Amino acid sequence: MTENDHERWSENLAAYMLGALDAAEAAELERHREGCERCQAEIRWLTPALDALPESVERFAPPAELRSRVMSEVRADARQAGADRAAAEGGLWHRAAGWLRGLGSGPMGLRPVVGFAAAVLVVVAVAGYAIGGGIGSSSDGTGAGTVVAGHAPGVTARIVMAGEGGTLHLANVRQLPEERVLEAWVQRRGAVTPVRALFVPDREGRATTTIADMKGVETVMVTTEPPGGSRSPTSAPIVTVPIPQ
Amino acid sequence: MSVRREKAERLADEELMPLIGEKDPEAFEVFYDRHGGVAYSLAYRIVGERAAAEDVTQEAFISIWRSGARFDRARGSVRSWMLSIVRNRAIDMLRSRAGKAPKLTFDDDAILEQRPAEELTEEEAMRHETATEVRGALGTLPGDQSKVIELAYFGGFSQSEIARMLGVPLGTVKGRMRLGMEKIRGELAEGLA
Repeated sequence: MTENDHERWSENLAAYMLGALDAAEAAELERHREGCERCQAEIRWLTPALDALPESVERFAPPAELRSRVMSEVRADARQAGADRAAAEGGLWHRAAGWLRGLGSGPMGLRPVVGFAAAVLVVVAVAGYAIGGGIGSSSDGTGAGTVVAGHAPGVTARIVMAGEGGTLHLANVRQLPEERVLEAWVQRRGAVTPVRALFVPDREGRATTTIADMKGVETVMVTTEPPGGSRSPTSAPIVTVPIPQ
Repeated sequence: MSVRREKAERLADEELMPLIGEKDPEAFEVFYDRHGGVAYSLAYRIVGERAAAEDVTQEAFISIWRSGARFDRARGSVRSWMLSIVRNRAIDMLRSRAGKAPKLTFDDDAILEQRPAEELTEEEAMRHETATEVRGALGTLPGDQSKVIELAYFGGFSQSEIARMLGVPLGTVKGRMRLGMEKIRGELAEGLA
């Protein structure tokens, strides 16, 4: 490299640092810089001046809503990442998480909450295995048995089997916003159908509904819906209960 | 305040970045609280509209959240890296608005409508002081030098475009940029001495 080479590029260094070269010029200067210690030293020297420019602007507090929006997206991402990791580690539960993900990609716009749902699924799955009873493992000789218990943040779920049906018991459900009710859903072979009865929590946060037919049900979940219920889920599940087969 | 959050607050930016790379929202929240103010202020300075500045800030932070692991400490501080991302996104937005002229002065009445920062942490207060010093350094520049720097950095114009806008030879623009940057650097060095 000659002295002329350096001088030619040196006069462009400030413009380069300020982002004022076009793309081709910037790429050429970067190639030159790799082998030019003088350019590297000059850039190091001028860097504090460049860093000072954004620091010089008048300061204003960003709106609180902006922080809420950013952190809401971040937390949804984190939940999704956690759920993806857990789903990748579990065979049976991986399949179920895929089902939930499928829900998220539908026209109902559930995408931001899928991570939450899948994370809940895993928590519930662990609890289900820990209990280990499974359908039909009667403790009182009547043919009824508790299938699984788990929780979404704060919410616990328990399904008590009786004959071909079951009763879903929720606890610690927060009071619902006005004009919202709870609706339970069952999933069989990928198809999601509503449980007929809608329900609401009592003052203690307990809510119960009956699922008349539990045959072939792979997962039970609960969402909040408008009065009268919905034909398909329109919100994130507050709890999801996979049923061991 | 959770213990986890308190712990994250004690970490330097460079120590937060690996946690952010592992998708730790608490670490990211601390990062946002530390730098959200200057990021928003820079975005506002460039795009000149509150809603657009919010969009730029949100996009930049989400981009950092999703690519935090790519930060290379050999290339400078986390804060500089973050501000360069905000600046690039803001300039992209400016360029996408055809015919939108950038603001040309460091004093801008429009931003006076904005709510000033109310409570400054000690660290933020120090930075505020630094910002004042830097503005002072910029204020000492001859107008023709500060103008070309501002058009390039805050306006996103190339040196050729600036030469055409100001009706001066390209070499003059290069010289003014170089001299201006050297003067700012000199002022900063003097301030530290």
